[in-house]
Amino acid sequence: MAGYGLQRSDGMTIVLESRDLSKNYGDVQAVKSVSLSVEEGALFGLLGPNGSGKTTMIKMLTGQARPSGGSATVLGVDVTSDPVGVRSRVGIIPEQETPPSFLTAMEYLRFVAAIRQIPEIETKADWWFEFLDFADKKDVLCKDLSRGTRQKLMFTQAFIHEPALALIDEPLINFDPIMQDVVKEYLAGYVKKGRTIFISTHILEVAEEICSGFAILHKGSLLHTGPVSELTGRGEHLPSFFLALVRKDRHV
Amino acid sequence: MFELFHAMMKEEWRIHSTMFGSVSFALFPVMIFGIAFMGAFLVPLMQTTMPAGNLALTIHGSYLMLGIMVGGFGLLGSEVMNRRFGQANLLAYSARSLPLTGQFIFANFVVKDTVYYFFLWVFPFGFGYLAASPFTGVPLAGALLLILTLALAFLFGLCTVFFLSTVYARLRVAFWLLLLALCAGGGALVVLTGINPVLLFPPLLIYHAFSWIGLVATCILLVLLFGVSIALFSPESVGSEKRHHDLYRSLVQRLAFLPDPTLAAKDVIDMYRSGSLIGQALFSFVLPLAVIWFFLSLLAPAFPPHGLLLMFAIVAGIIASTMYTWVTMFDSFGPYACLPVAVSRLIAGKLTTFALLQVLPALFIAAVAVLAGETAYLVPAVVLGLSVSFYAVAVMAWLAGLSPNVLVYDVKVLFLYMVLVGIAIILFTAVAFAEPYAALGSVILLIPAWLFVQKAKARWDAVDPAGF
Repeated sequence: MAGYGLQRSDGMTIVLESRDLSKNYGDVQAVKSVSLSVEEGALFGLLGPNGSGKTTMIKMLTGQARPSGGSATVLGVDVTSDPVGVRSRVGIIPEQETPPSFLTAMEYLRFVAAIRQIPEIETKADWWFEFLDFADKKDVLCKDLSRGTRQKLMFTQAFIHEPALALIDEPLINFDPIMQDVVKEYLAGYVKKGRTIFISTHILEVAEEICSGFAILHKGSLLHTGPVSELTGRGEHLPSFFLALVRKDRHV
Repeated sequence: MFELFHAMMKEEWRIHSTMFGSVSFALFPVMIFGIAFMGAFLVPLMQTTMPAGNLALTIHGSYLMLGIMVGGFGLLGSEVMNRRFGQANLLAYSARSLPLTGQFIFANFVVKDTVYYFFLWVFPFGFGYLAASPFTGVPLAGALLLILTLALAFLFGLCTVFFLSTVYARLRVAFWLLLLALCAGGGALVVLTGINPVLLFPPLLIYHAFSWIGLVATCILLVLLFGVSIALFSPESVGSEKRHHDLYRSLVQRLAFLPDPTLAAKDVIDMYRSGSLIGQALFSFVLPLAVIWFFLSLLAPAFPPHGLLLMFAIVAGIIASTMYTWVTMFDSFGPYACLPVAVSRLIAGKLTTFALLQVLPALFIAAVAVLAGETAYLVPAVVLGLSVSFYAVAVMAWLAGLSPNVLVYDVKVLFLYMVLVGIAIILFTAVAFAEPYAALGSVILLIPAWLFVQKAKARWDAVDPAGF
């Protein structure tokens, strides 16, 4: 992974870093001065209740939305000055987006491969169709796929080029329990290869199970960031920690 | 009964007012009113060169055209009901969880759209003319009659195309037979009696000689066309899981001569599989232009020699520029947001596909030139039509980016579009009328067109991509 991200004094490489990152939509401050960093090889969870700014954070970190203030770099690339450069290096699963309606699943992967210049797409696509168990849907139009199958396709497009960093908004949404298990295992194996995954979720049990680091966002502000082991080391659980912190912030 | 309709009306208002601001969106009909009000003062001036009957013909033709252009509900029906352009949260989709039939929901959707178009375009124009009538000497009754007949002309275009597009979507053979019968009937009328079919257009007949019988008969016809269209409408079931051959790979190879075959192949597949490549070509291009030809041919005596063909080429160019909406209607930036694609690349890609589609207007104008016995002016007419089309689409891309269908309702966008395109049209109409071969000079429009495209790329890359 050499060449990506920023080398820290302790030898760790930072693949994602935001400094005072903010986003306003009119009078609404969706994200307020969030500073966080993610190390290479982490499976990092951005946690928060609905409307806390998680999706906006991912949009800014992937160059889909321009920050109103602050800055961020992803794999060493500035998200404001080179948003396309960021998207070419990472894999992304947006929150609600679906693949284009009138392409078949296979055609969509060809389309992605053509844009990302991925070689041997046939072989790679076939592996993913088998792995996520939707080979029988490869010639069906995306608009006719079920939500779960669309999510499988979006998962495939995000990982088919084996990016150094993948940013996923709600990774397990729409998957059945069996597929959730397959995906969790895949994500765990992916970071073991030295790659990094940044997920946003409000399913705390999943975050505790698979994440190595986490940050809690509430009403656009960062309440806490740190390793999951810090909590488990002192016998705490992520869900109870999260609820206590968010409730306290609400009360304030 | 009316709850769904009421909710859809509110939804439509909020979609647009959220995008442009309530005041800005509310100003849209005010602008149309203003144009009609001020235009009414030009009527006496225009009547010195153009008979009043011709003026009425032009306005009715324009409203018929507006109806035709927006009436293709049959083509888009399944998309609307299943997932309107990616916005599955709209009532047309979500109301299916209520105990209502698909036909009922769709009927509400169509009526809602019709009412919206009526109050955005038809009523403000007629009302502007009505408000100016005390100052222009036009009798109040005449102005009121104009509002009525313009509304009928609009509904006539809308219901006819709604009916034809629904038949087309339901049963292609029946559609072609129907079209053949209509063409044969119109052709027989022209050949046997020498009467231009436009002269039998019911709203125009009512305008020239009002009769209650004519009005009631026209209304019955409109209700019949609408009712049959709704009855015939059958939304495609979601999740049909029909298998399709892989077209993408071979299309990318065939389109390799284009700057970005990757995006162009996707656009072509979108248009082909949605049925809109042929459907839009028929209902948004060939049919409107055929009607325009009949209307314009009645105005021919007011034009200089060869003016009819060149005027037709300009109008065809404007209509051809709307092909940009054919290629932008299937996706917002959303599906591309996870890919390394800038908005500017998408705009360039859509314009490339648009350029491919310009073969259609080129052939159409050429065919009309030959059929009208004006082969000598075929080249200037084609050049003029295409130059106007490329210029107008560049202005559209600059003003509306990837969302021309939506941003047209931003009053600033429409005003600027009308001014920028209007100036070019007036200039080159005058040039072409003065000397037909001077129409070749319209290629100069490609320079501002190129500049507008460059400005469009820079402009839309600098803002957050719109989700519509």
